[in-house]
Amino acid sequence: MNLKLITLLGVKLDTEVYELLIPTAAGEIGVFPGHEPLVSLAVPGVIAVRYKKGDSDDKQEFFAISGGVVEVSQTHVRILVDEAETGDDIVEAESKAALERALKLRAEAKNQVELDKAHQLVDRHTVRLKVADLHRRHRRP
Amino acid sequence: MASTQVLKTRIRSVKNTKQITKAMQLVAASKMRRAQDATKATAPYTEAARELLQNLAKLNSVTRHPLFKTRPIGSRLLIVIASDKGLAGAYNSNILKSYIEELKRDDSAKVKNLTIAVGRKAAQFVARLKDTTVLGVYEELPDRPDADELRAILDSARNAFIAGRVDAVDVIYTEFISSLNQKTKVLRVLPAGFNAVELTGITEEVTYEPSTDEVLDGVASRLVSAQIFQALLDARASEHSMRMIAMKNATDNASDLVDDLTLEMNKARQGAITQELAEISGGVEALNE
Repeated sequence: MNLKLITLLGVKLDTEVYELLIPTAAGEIGVFPGHEPLVSLAVPGVIAVRYKKGDSDDKQEFFAISGGVVEVSQTHVRILVDEAETGDDIVEAESKAALERALKLRAEAKNQVELDKAHQLVDRHTVRLKVADLHRRHRRP
Repeated sequence: MASTQVLKTRIRSVKNTKQITKAMQLVAASKMRRAQDATKATAPYTEAARELLQNLAKLNSVTRHPLFKTRPIGSRLLIVIASDKGLAGAYNSNILKSYIEELKRDDSAKVKNLTIAVGRKAAQFVARLKDTTVLGVYEELPDRPDADELRAILDSARNAFIAGRVDAVDVIYTEFISSLNQKTKVLRVLPAGFNAVELTGITEEVTYEPSTDEVLDGVASRLVSAQIFQALLDARASEHSMRMIAMKNATDNASDLVDDLTLEMNKARQGAITQELAEISGGVEALNE
């Protein structure tokens, strides 16, 4: 099936895939070719992509996404998110520092707006670290 | 004929102006390239978003959702996107002209009008108007606005729409077609799914998870915000390319002016020399007699 991963910064991925794991508001869903048509909300998390049937786990690719919309049909999957990053895009040390800053912001938040923003930042950097970690473990020779 | 000294000063000042306009042209050109890349990159997202909204608009439960509700239009919110700085050719006057047209249309249809102004030029303009209520003013947005700045605009538009203060929300912006071609456009963003598009997506029975209402809620606000975001980026790219062209014309004009003035100065200098020679030979004649 065809996967289009579209972000505000452009089309991140437009390719044939075999299996997809997507974090949605109703829990993580697995999508294979021939899935019933579905529209759901993506939540910040990790998308795992397996390109070909029978690919081993170390050939999976991971994307850190922010919230968005998932549209699934028999032959197509379209994912609209604000941001999507692969392990290659993420610098682990930077994300770690950013996560610490975000945690500090959350601890010091004075009002609901600041707290919401801090929560989002924490979520975002946690997800990015997770992707960086998965990327490292799976690509080790 | 003006004296050589006066002409020299004028040439120098025109040359200075030319240097400035040339620099502004180059700055605008590089900003335009960046803004152009940004608006192109976001286009697939906006397109997909619009398609999805259209599909959702056909659902029965949609009519229940506040963002999709089509009402007879008794009041309308206009979001006018102009620039902070001038010297961009007809950019701001085009936008404000079409804004005035919309205001007149509202006026003749007895529709109440509210405005959100983006950019200082728009803000200054609406401050002088009496027949509209200003809902918000946003100045000095960065070239690449982020979610927070966008959210402020989006929230006031959405809240006004849901609360029933306005029955439609339109964005007036300059659509970026190419660096030489930009068009003022009025785009309806609320009620959502208003603009008809070609359908290529799924039309068969679709499941919505966790529930139709929740999906509608998340999708609609996200997609409406994507459209406003795209409008902002387009406006920015158009602004920079119009400024680039305006500054290129100014530079060309300055070059022509320098050429003309130089010619005039040379004539004046030559005239002065000729006159001096005539006086000297006249003097010699006089001595010989």
